[in-house]
Amino acid sequence: MQSKPIALTILDIISVIVLGVATYLALVFAPTEAVMGQVQRVFYFHVGTAWVGLLGFVLAAISGIAYLVTKDMKWDRFEVAAVEVSTMFFFITIVLGSIWARPAWNTWWTWDPRLTTAAVTELIYVAYFMLRAGIEDPEKRARFGAVYTLLGGLSAPITFMVIRLFRTIHPVVIGNQSAEAQGGFSMTPDMRTAFFFALFAFTVIFIDLLWHRIRLGGLQEKVEQLKLNVSM
Amino acid sequence: MESIPDTTGYMIAGFVVAFATMGIHVLSMYVRNRNLRRDLEMLESMDKPEKK
Amino acid sequence: MNHPAPSLLKATFAIVRKDLAAEFRSRELLSAMLVFSMLVILIFNFALELDVKVRQSVTAGVLWTTFAFAGTLGLNRSMAVEKDRGCMDGLLLAPVDRSAIFFGKAISNLAFMLIVEAIVIPLYAMLYNEVRIFQVEFLGVLLLGSIGYIAVGTLLSAMSVQTRTRDVLLPILLFPVAVPVLLASVKASGGIIAGADFAEILTPLNLLIVYDIIFIAVAFMVFDFVVEE
Repeated sequence: MQSKPIALTILDIISVIVLGVATYLALVFAPTEAVMGQVQRVFYFHVGTAWVGLLGFVLAAISGIAYLVTKDMKWDRFEVAAVEVSTMFFFITIVLGSIWARPAWNTWWTWDPRLTTAAVTELIYVAYFMLRAGIEDPEKRARFGAVYTLLGGLSAPITFMVIRLFRTIHPVVIGNQSAEAQGGFSMTPDMRTAFFFALFAFTVIFIDLLWHRIRLGGLQEKVEQLKLNVSM
Repeated sequence: MESIPDTTGYMIAGFVVAFATMGIHVLSMYVRNRNLRRDLEMLESMDKPEKK
Repeated sequence: MNHPAPSLLKATFAIVRKDLAAEFRSRELLSAMLVFSMLVILIFNFALELDVKVRQSVTAGVLWTTFAFAGTLGLNRSMAVEKDRGCMDGLLLAPVDRSAIFFGKAISNLAFMLIVEAIVIPLYAMLYNEVRIFQVEFLGVLLLGSIGYIAVGTLLSAMSVQTRTRDVLLPILLFPVAVPVLLASVKASGGIIAGADFAEILTPLNLLIVYDIIFIAVAFMVFDFVVEE
């Protein structure tokens, strides 16, 4: 394993800085929202992590296809890294949403389309890791993982469309329109600054973590290879 | 106009969870990295004497 | 000697015939699925206290849950048998298109699931005095839902039988990916039982068809990667 590239070290430092700035903007700079109060401040991190979470799942599906076409292990490393980092960020998204929902909707959880789709998506990627854990052969693990990310990436949008039906025919608790009424708000310019900076910050952090995870995957592969050599 | 509800506790909980999750993930990558490096060193030292 | 490779259709039906013949001799798969289905319905009866009022709203859900559970049982078994008896290796060596294996397994799995449904539905109707499930639309939804479920299920069971954790993995892999097909089917068939307008069930029906087409196409395209050695 080559030593850590300087670009990655620089990216590490930038990530820490933008995380700090994003936290400052969310906690101090942005004005307190009038209806929800302080808890609205988690919104910036909620949307930021949701964005990189979804980005990672899309990237994983694309690299899955790339692996199946090229059979190059680097796509597999990219895919696992993207799924792992995104699953972590998406977990934060769900928990933050739930914490916000408790004072806003007076419940930790409701089976609204977005929440349900988020939960199902998270479960798909947990299942992805269980699938990989059950396969020893790295090449087969890569193939099956690629197929499963592809299926997951296709199924999640359909899940969202189907669940929306349930809520539009049944009385709407939190739908697209009534979100405005139940905890929706219009952003002031300062809020907008914090919002867009959070998106930017989490994108940088995502790339940084992804890079680290890809390097870790490379190291893993090397150790597996060596173990095979030694035992032979 | 009602006063703003006090939801500071929820906010703190939210940020604690966010930072804790990211921290645990970074820590787990660090630990995995360290263990793999240790394995690598051991395997390399086992590999070399055999080749001589 | 020159044996031309059999056509896709011929090869597919050869596999289906093999599976059905084996099953009608042993009947182990169908009987397990059937007994299991009846037990699930029995448990639901007590768990949900299916009186007349509750029944109206949950019939579709109970039936679909039952079929989904029984389906994983059948899918797992049908693929595990291929793997254990070495049939899979034989099939892979045979000069047939790999897609014939996928379609063959999928069609026989679908046949098993439809046979179970054909027995469970009249029994359910009799036990709960629910005759509204004998409608063409309801049975059509049942068919469409089963097709989508089996298409993904066949692909995923081919994957799960090759893993170390194969006894538990299939439902974990299959359920989250099959959520759309189950929900759309429940929505559509629930609407039919409640006597809703056709316009109201049209959207879930369309989504069901979209899901079926996408997932049959994808499963067929990637099946090669799953069985390759």
